[in-house]
Amino acid sequence: MNARSLFIPVTLFLVIAFLIGPFLIIVAASFSAGETLAFPPQGFSLRWIAKVFTVESFQASFAMSLFLAIGGTAAALVLGIPASYALSRYKLPGAEIVRTVVSAPIIVPGIIVGLALLRYIVVPFQVGITLALFVAHTALVLPYAVRVVSASLDNLRSDIEEAAVLLGSSRLGAFFRVVMPNIRGGIMSAFILGFVTSFNQVPVSLFLSGPGVRTLPVDMIAYMEIVFDPSVAALSSLLAFLSIGIVFAAERFLGFSRYV
Amino acid sequence: MSDASYLSLEKLTLAYGDTVAVADLDLDIRKGELIALLGPSGCGKTTTMRAIAGLLPVKSGQVRLDGADMTRVPANKRAVGLVFQSYALFPHLSVYENVAFGLKLKGMRGAELDTKVQAGLKSVGLSSFANRKPAELSGGQQQRVALARSMVMEPKVLLLDEPLSNLDARLRLEMRTELQRVQKETGVTMIFVTHDQAEALALADRIVVMKGGAIEQIGTPEDIYNRPVSSFVADFVGFENIFPLEGGKLRTSGGLIELSGEAPSAAGLAWRPRMVTLGTGPFRGTVRGTSFAGDSREYLLDTSLGAIKAEVEAALPAHALGADLLFDLPAGKAALLSKFS
Amino acid sequence: MFQNRAEALALALPAALFAAAVFLVPVVILLSDGFRSPVGGWTISAYTDFFSNTLNQTVFLRTLKLGALVTVVSAVIGYAAAFAIVNLEPGAKGRMTGLVVLPLMISPVARTYAWIVILGRTGIVNQAFQALGLTEAPLRILFSETAIFIGLLQLFLPLMIISLISALENMPKDAIPAARVLGANWFQVFWKVVLPLTKEGLVIGGTLVFTGCLTAYITPAILGGSKVLMLETLLYQQVSVSNNFVSASVIAFILIVMSFAANILLKRVATARNKMRSQP
Ligand SMILES: Nc1ncnc2c1ncn2[C@@H]1O[C@H](COP(=O)(O)OP(=O)(O)OP(=O)(O)O)[C@@H](O)[C@H]1O
Ligand SMILES: [Mg+2]
Repeated sequence: MNARSLFIPVTLFLVIAFLIGPFLIIVAASFSAGETLAFPPQGFSLRWIAKVFTVESFQASFAMSLFLAIGGTAAALVLGIPASYALSRYKLPGAEIVRTVVSAPIIVPGIIVGLALLRYIVVPFQVGITLALFVAHTALVLPYAVRVVSASLDNLRSDIEEAAVLLGSSRLGAFFRVVMPNIRGGIMSAFILGFVTSFNQVPVSLFLSGPGVRTLPVDMIAYMEIVFDPSVAALSSLLAFLSIGIVFAAERFLGFSRYV
Repeated sequence: MSDASYLSLEKLTLAYGDTVAVADLDLDIRKGELIALLGPSGCGKTTTMRAIAGLLPVKSGQVRLDGADMTRVPANKRAVGLVFQSYALFPHLSVYENVAFGLKLKGMRGAELDTKVQAGLKSVGLSSFANRKPAELSGGQQQRVALARSMVMEPKVLLLDEPLSNLDARLRLEMRTELQRVQKETGVTMIFVTHDQAEALALADRIVVMKGGAIEQIGTPEDIYNRPVSSFVADFVGFENIFPLEGGKLRTSGGLIELSGEAPSAAGLAWRPRMVTLGTGPFRGTVRGTSFAGDSREYLLDTSLGAIKAEVEAALPAHALGADLLFDLPAGKAALLSKFS
Repeated sequence: MFQNRAEALALALPAALFAAAVFLVPVVILLSDGFRSPVGGWTISAYTDFFSNTLNQTVFLRTLKLGALVTVVSAVIGYAAAFAIVNLEPGAKGRMTGLVVLPLMISPVARTYAWIVILGRTGIVNQAFQALGLTEAPLRILFSETAIFIGLLQLFLPLMIISLISALENMPKDAIPAARVLGANWFQVFWKVVLPLTKEGLVIGGTLVFTGCLTAYITPAILGGSKVLMLETLLYQQVSVSNNFVSASVIAFILIVMSFAANILLKRVATARNKMRSQP
């Protein structure tokens, strides 16, 4: 073996070790029997994994994160699908402005979005924290929804709607009968991408928490500041396997990566 | 180094991973020769070229050029030019910059560089296109840039991988003449790959016919055209009536057939349609198809030997479909095949 | 293309108005706060105040430095990794790309958290260093710029690799062999052919990584602690500890300007190189 033929395997090994290694360590640490988070793990036990399910604040914040990820993404799709359709199929006046406005939340640091919402919507209008979080997560997912749905609309020939209209369907009927079935994969992919983004999101939610109302990642950070035991590792591993599982299933059944 | 082996491949074996693409290839090429590499798709033509250029590591065997062992010399130090089938022009560089690319790497600058590049562009008739980007050229023009880019490097050997395959018929003929002119003017040793036997016959000093990663025959265009050594080559260069020979008799779908005249000793015999005698002879056939080709007419005959193709001058009276004809396969005219597959 | 404007607006406006109401308007008001004078009218005194504070200067420069460093290092590693992946067999290529993308699906909290285990006082690195006799006492790696750098690099390297993989795959297929045959060594192949042909992927990847570093909150918060601040963590402190909303607005504006500037700068660099070389 000469230097050149070693280049590829060695590079790949180092890079993958750097990217995946820490995650494997977290997984190993969650099976530790010891009291503090450490690697190599001291002994083997499932106690920390079991503990995750008994911490009450985790249950509440998990439910909150799940609600935000599902509800926020669904709301973003309800807003985003028509907008994508307008952008891809119509001669829309000010199309560029619309595109910029809906995709802006992706460029601006999340912490600013959260702070701005808190100062100028939540406080002056007395909006509840849960509603504020919901709105914030919807805004955050909207750019992804528009991007992915637009991409799958652009891949779909636009003459099929015209054909449907010529065959007697209304414009709206044509959308539901011939467009929707063909972009279902794109919509599912947008949903999954939105779900993962929202679920893992921290900065936006940072300022938007109140008594008992917190998203799971924010709760995890708060927990870690007080107790440094392996339960956060266990929770992280569980969540990671959950999102990896979802993405894998999506790739299997939908060809997820085509749209993202 | 003898003059006969300016470029020589000795027992060259090439592989992609574990799949061997070219096995034990021997080839000697004279300085200034124009060689055509002919063969069906996947027979290893591109693979052989890439190995000569140093783009593919050699599994075993040697590549020698101008007396030196090149086998382990990296591609950038070989002085071998390669015109890719895809042209591989650099899309971010202008035509001028593309042609100047290699010269600049050699350290050439200023007036010397400019003179060379301009001369190169002029030789392919693209002087006025110097500032265009490759995307703004037609296929034929891109091809000529690729040719100029390799030629200005004054390589010891210039390899061309199907240089004319993407051109329309007229441009193809034009470029064919162009290639020949460049080769005669510069005396560069050239190997070009082609699928097209007419092109190989018209251009090459010698033709190398490849099959399944090995050389089937090497010879002058006359050799290849008139004296194919195997049924494969015969088929490739337009012999249509090809039969194996067993104990002096022809093995056909109608059994062993005795030929008129002295039976030659060979593994098989092949006749071009034009070599078939029509009207007289020991065999009988029925006309199943006929086609008119300007100054000649072709007949497809159903015979006790199987299907036979015959070609006669168009001036002769035509035979109708279904007509019964006598014919002969004269042993004296046949190409003798030493290999039958 | 449908022509009906009313229909188009009816479809597009809900999303646009929503984004404007809950995002654009509040953010613009927030940003304008930093330019508002307490006595009425407009001023940039908040900005001069901000930059005259040495702590703020340090944090600003640190953010800039770490962002630039992570971008450059991820580009170097990214090219090597992307090149290696592109040259794999199709099956292995898909699996490797999957492994590179995988971390993006994992919560940044979990990904950052892992580094505490690795870099902490009793972490793997310190254990290894002490076992090898390189150090006596445990090194303090956590809560330092180094720790933030490592965390950010791990967080954003996949984005760079993905951008470069698609850029490399879109290169004309024989460009590299053609340059080799024309006499280019590997360094020249990279500099004269690969880099100019993949610069768009580099710009996209670079912008993603740099912007990511600016806007990352978790990594500097966990790996930098309360002492080694970056602009994001400083902003959080200004609000939650000092209740200083003007200063928060100033930082927000700086962050946004920096991301846009990075994007424009990278594009400039790419096109400038291009212009230079197309002169005969
Ligand atoms: N990169 C590769 N990896 C694996 N096998 C390859 C590769 N390139 C070529 N081969 C195989 O090697 C053999 C020779 O290929 P080569 O490209 O040399 O054929 P060729 O004679 O140039 O054909 P064509 O006329 O179609 O260009 C073929 O069987 C091909 O499938
Ligand atoms: Mg080929």
